[in-house]
Amino acid sequence: MAVSLVTVDRPETGQRGGRVDAVWDWVQVLSGLGLALFLALHTLLTASVLLGASVLNAVAGALEAVHLDTLAHWIVPVLFLVHFAAAARKVPFRVREQRALWAQARMLRHADTWAWIFQAASGMAVLLLGVMHMWTTINAGAIEAAASAARVQSGGWVVLYLLLAPLGQAHAVIGVYRAGVKWGFIQDACRAQAVRLGLYVLAGGLVLSLAALVRYATL
Amino acid sequence: MARTLTFHIFRYNPQDPDSTPHMQDFVLEETANMTLFIALNRLREEQDPGLMFDFCCRAGICGSCGMVVNGRPRLACQTKTKDLPETITLLPLPVFKLIGDLCVDTGTWFREMYTRTESWIHTSQPFDPAKEEARMDNAVAEAIYEMERCIECGCCIAACSTARMRPDFLGAAGLARIARFAVDPRDERTDKDYFELIGNDFGVFGCMGLLACEDVCPKNLPLQNQLGFLRRKMGITAVKQLLGR
Repeated sequence: MAVSLVTVDRPETGQRGGRVDAVWDWVQVLSGLGLALFLALHTLLTASVLLGASVLNAVAGALEAVHLDTLAHWIVPVLFLVHFAAAARKVPFRVREQRALWAQARMLRHADTWAWIFQAASGMAVLLLGVMHMWTTINAGAIEAAASAARVQSGGWVVLYLLLAPLGQAHAVIGVYRAGVKWGFIQDACRAQAVRLGLYVLAGGLVLSLAALVRYATL
Repeated sequence: MARTLTFHIFRYNPQDPDSTPHMQDFVLEETANMTLFIALNRLREEQDPGLMFDFCCRAGICGSCGMVVNGRPRLACQTKTKDLPETITLLPLPVFKLIGDLCVDTGTWFREMYTRTESWIHTSQPFDPAKEEARMDNAVAEAIYEMERCIECGCCIAACSTARMRPDFLGAAGLARIARFAVDPRDERTDKDYFELIGNDFGVFGCMGLLACEDVCPKNLPLQNQLGFLRRKMGITAVKQLLGR
């Protein structure tokens, strides 16, 4: 029998040997930043339809010519699931933890604490909606304005995008802010400016994606 | 014109089997320069001698009178009633063991934290009481002192959602304690040694960056910056270890 099969009953004081935790923390921040960067580029690509369907088709064609779409079709789903696995370590799945967190948030009335609860909840929603979106687009073939417009105009998809776009963007902006705070790149002296910048970026992203959605709905 | 303040105060004595957790209302006329420390003492002297709360220095130094005031952990002695609305809700600090009413046992928590972080200067130098202390650069001394200003009131721990969900989490006070030794040139511990203490989800990688600790610290300690500094330091140490360096 191997020693690795034995589980030792001892109090979890948390000391010693946390390399796995450190690796997961790196995976969480790097996959999150990768997804945020992808989302920013994705928002710009989809919003290029505001300049005309031919512009979006040209941009998409240029990306497809260098096989960036194929690369994204492989990397993004992997990043997506890996990020979920890494971030889920912090999400309170147990009822006891959820009650404690809820009581804390209601007691404290603290913006960053509520923002984290939103992030955890939106992460779960984005996981579900994002998988549906990715499955459809990956199987749809070439990226074309007409195909996107047809999808948006076909019943329930517009509801999915009206949820996915704001939730995904808010999740990404809060996530990048929190990564900056946690890793010390946003210091206390510039925290207020970072929050303001994040809100501007979020507002810009929301305007772009919602305007694009309206364009697809009317194309 | 003096205001009439209404205090909603948490009452419960875990030692008394007949006691049940409940909120009790007290009414008090506000006086000039009244702090919560003064108000609570008057309530105890004039209305209920059984009201339990801690205080000692009344100057924001001893850290005894931490409690949740209208939702935020803070020191009763530093909180002026004129800065609060007429209705004031007082709760004991969460996370810590309740002694009774507003009184909690922060000592046991901090004692355990000191043991876990091995909170003393680790040196191989023999101690010579007759010898003059080794000189230290002033900037380094100030950096150490900045973290030494912690009065162990427990407000940062009570404000931390992670600490409230996960009792083993070291919290800002514990991590800041490590940051204090990490900049002390007399401590011979290396980053690898610190990694063994806090390089896990119970330590620095458990921090979710909600910053409530930073926002409630009554001594305005730079907790956000210290937590970021430690996470980078421990993250880089982990990568070096993985690369075998």
